[in-house]
Amino acid sequence: MSITASPAPLSGGGARARRRRRTGRAMELLATIAALLAIALLLLVIGSVARRGAPALSVSFFTNVDAAFLQSGGGIENSIVGTLIMTGIATAMAVPVGVLLAIFNTEFAPPPLSAAIRMALNVLAGVPTIVIGVFISGLLVVGRGQSAVAASAALAIIMLPLIARSTEEVLLLVPTSLREGGMALGATRARTVLTVILPTSIGGIITATIVAVARAAGETAPIIFTSSIFANAVVTDPSQPMASIPYTIFTKSESPSASDQQQAWAAALVLISVVLLGSIIGRLLSIRTRRQIEQTR
Amino acid sequence: MSIDSPQPFTVPVRTRPRYGDLGLRAVAGSAAVVLVAVMAAIVYQVVREARSSIGQFGLGFLTDSQWNAVTDRFGALDLIWGTLVSSLLALLIAVPVAVAIGLYLSELAPAVLRTPVALMVELLAAIPSVVLGLWGILVMGPFLAEHIEPFLADHLGFIPLFSGTPSSHGLLPAAVVLTIMIIPIVASISRELFTSVPSDLKQGAMALGATRWEMVRSVAIPQVSGGLVAAIMLGFARAVGEAIAVSQVIGGTLNLGWSLFAPADTMAGRIASQSPGAATALQKSSLAYLAVILLVISLITNISAQLISGRIQRRMGIQR
Amino acid sequence: MLRVMRLGTTVLAMGAVALAAACGSSGSSGSSGGASASKVLVGAGSTLVAPLMSQWEPDYTKSSGTTITYGAIGSGGGIDAITTRQVDFGASDAPLSSEQASACKDCLQVPWALAAVVPAYNLSGAPDHLKLTGDVIAKMYLGQITSWDDPAIKSLNPGVTLPSTAVAPVYRSDGSGDSYVWSSYLSSLSPDFKSKVGVSTQPAFSTGTGAEKSSGVAAAVQSTDGAIGYVTVAYITADSLHSALVQNAAGNYPAPTTDAITAAAAAVTTIQPDGSVSLVNPPASAASAYPISTYSYAIVPKSSPKAAQLQAFLTYAITTGQQFGPDLGYPGLPSNIVQHDKQVISQIGS
Repeated sequence: MSITASPAPLSGGGARARRRRRTGRAMELLATIAALLAIALLLLVIGSVARRGAPALSVSFFTNVDAAFLQSGGGIENSIVGTLIMTGIATAMAVPVGVLLAIFNTEFAPPPLSAAIRMALNVLAGVPTIVIGVFISGLLVVGRGQSAVAASAALAIIMLPLIARSTEEVLLLVPTSLREGGMALGATRARTVLTVILPTSIGGIITATIVAVARAAGETAPIIFTSSIFANAVVTDPSQPMASIPYTIFTKSESPSASDQQQAWAAALVLISVVLLGSIIGRLLSIRTRRQIEQTR
Repeated sequence: MSIDSPQPFTVPVRTRPRYGDLGLRAVAGSAAVVLVAVMAAIVYQVVREARSSIGQFGLGFLTDSQWNAVTDRFGALDLIWGTLVSSLLALLIAVPVAVAIGLYLSELAPAVLRTPVALMVELLAAIPSVVLGLWGILVMGPFLAEHIEPFLADHLGFIPLFSGTPSSHGLLPAAVVLTIMIIPIVASISRELFTSVPSDLKQGAMALGATRWEMVRSVAIPQVSGGLVAAIMLGFARAVGEAIAVSQVIGGTLNLGWSLFAPADTMAGRIASQSPGAATALQKSSLAYLAVILLVISLITNISAQLISGRIQRRMGIQR
Repeated sequence: MLRVMRLGTTVLAMGAVALAAACGSSGSSGSSGGASASKVLVGAGSTLVAPLMSQWEPDYTKSSGTTITYGAIGSGGGIDAITTRQVDFGASDAPLSSEQASACKDCLQVPWALAAVVPAYNLSGAPDHLKLTGDVIAKMYLGQITSWDDPAIKSLNPGVTLPSTAVAPVYRSDGSGDSYVWSSYLSSLSPDFKSKVGVSTQPAFSTGTGAEKSSGVAAAVQSTDGAIGYVTVAYITADSLHSALVQNAAGNYPAPTTDAITAAAAAVTTIQPDGSVSLVNPPASAASAYPISTYSYAIVPKSSPKAAQLQAFLTYAITTGQQFGPDLGYPGLPSNIVQHDKQVISQIGS
């Protein structure tokens, strides 16, 4: 990797230098345009959703269930309850396993094993969610029927790598002085972890959970297999299938009726607000947590 | 999205194990066992569901162009084609844009803009795919069909890619949706990579008289080229695995043609659209066979990407 | 140390409870959950009967206290769901094939709705109710007729100016009873279609765009100029689509009114041994019959833990429930079918 210096100096005159300067500026302009393009795309999508969905937002939208065929009105109350329950159960499944995995990786696993586990988590994160849907469908749905718990299990698998990786990052931020302090006081490793390190990292763990929930709330693929036939009422029994916001958007997006489409936009607005809010809060919280932990050094 | 290997905290060996430590080690270790068990279960279960289709068609499944529930004959060729065309086209557009964004964020952006712009690029990744699909069906697809595709057909129609009738459902809207999904992934990895290039290398080049662009081209990019390959592979894996948004805009048709305007289908999209209503057991098994193919692709690309980036980090001595 | 073990046990217990909840939800809605679960009948399938079902759901719940849960996932999905006993009843416009019947293990087919499948189209510059024949439509779906001003279409519609827009056929990409009826009809009139595409809930269409569910087809037709698709009458009125008039065996072009559909049902009274009746392309003696009519079937297992509720619901559907039909385009069931159905329903036991 050698650097070939150009024969003509950059400063000073010469057509060659001017051309190089112009190329440089053009490339920088392209890079800036690329960044603007990404921002424009984001604003375009969010703008469409906001503009088309806002008119359908009303109190009744949040307190009604889906309307019958050819009837107007209707709302996403059962979808909201369903998504809350599904992501709640998924969080209860994923957080203990994810945090324990992170603890295992940082405290107990020898480097080759922890590297292997990290790779396994990254591989799991890369499995397409539709394949996870096929997996859970064969395991928990065939022969038993659909249920919200099956959907939660699929969502938990999707959330697990996110929570484990982020928790590990936070745990590693905790300075060794804290750990050594615990050991010096005669505590077992376990006690140090549970009474010193975890409380210090709890902010990061909560952040990781918020981001993972925001991601899981928008997943549609596993729900197609596990919770696509449901009653048109608010269902709270997790052994039954339930409506959910992403699936409602999915079905209404392909409907020809204008009121269905508007409800899809409105549900998308609700979903995007929650997801983006969760992501932004997660990002800001993680910056704050990092700063807090740095201060304990 | 960290693919680095941080060093764990190691403690001097104790001669006598403490019960509390054993307890926590066992409980935490069981979480690792759960992880391995889940991953093994995924592979086992999906392959098992595909068993009868694999037994019936074997590897010929990959080269067969039929998908016929009447004669119970299924083949993935059209779907593989649709997957490749839409994903590669999306990569073609997304990678230069994403690498440019990575460069912008690491080299060009004023410090005060860095975090907000990086955040907005990440938010692009946070948009749920079903919402992108909704936007694709009702906004982007019709826009493409009414304005972009006729323009392309009129002026570039001699190229097979741009021949055919403009349609709001097809490979082009699918590629656009996939592009939006790939950009944030590749951009954030690129940004990390460019930031990790040692600054003395960068400044050395500038001191020797290179413009910033020349420095990037001859120093930074070669330095991180391996990592960029890994990023592209991850972006490719993401595109191949996307089922929902693609199934909403691609038109669900078997198609081996070149026209980007024509409706087509991808492996993931077909699983999403046909699984709930599969008419025969062999069809369900064939859909699981598609899932096996997707799983293999995702495993190979993910593991390769991680091995590549692991090797780069060892070479550069990166520690977090 | 004890605290650590307790904490560890609690965490493990939480995980175990979650896993147990997942595995313990065994059986379909009948077994677990107690009283609330047994007052629910879960069904899935045909989108053709979904508009009618959405009227039955609230009305039946009010009168009987049993909640009906229905997922309109397409007839293919309904057949699959009842075969694997994921639901209490399936709904399909396509009767079970012999392979499906044996896989379903003693399932009964009960025709509980009468409907018509109608060609819907979107053609700016052309009027509503263009006339088409089955042969012409088959050629459109085979890619042999590619523009709306083709001489074959022109000759059927003298005096109508047809634009030269490209024909864009739309079909159901999911397992669909509408597809079964549509492909049956086209296959009966076009041997070319029969050999190249065939009759099925997922026929091997070679040209056109696939869309999921009737609503998806209606949406695709609505958004593409030159598109032609097939849906039941209720979706035509709901989404203000243009519908084509189809020539029947007698040479007439009846509109898919309840009278025309009833005429088709009256022309075919023989019920097959498996309980199905095909109304597609009735003989020329039925001069005013609509040629693409169909029954829609409830598919129920002969023995079911919810036998009593199924009997009650099905009886409601074929009697009181029929009153909601005509407004949506479903004529009432003919009396011979109702008689036959009552017999079949009595066979459901536990």
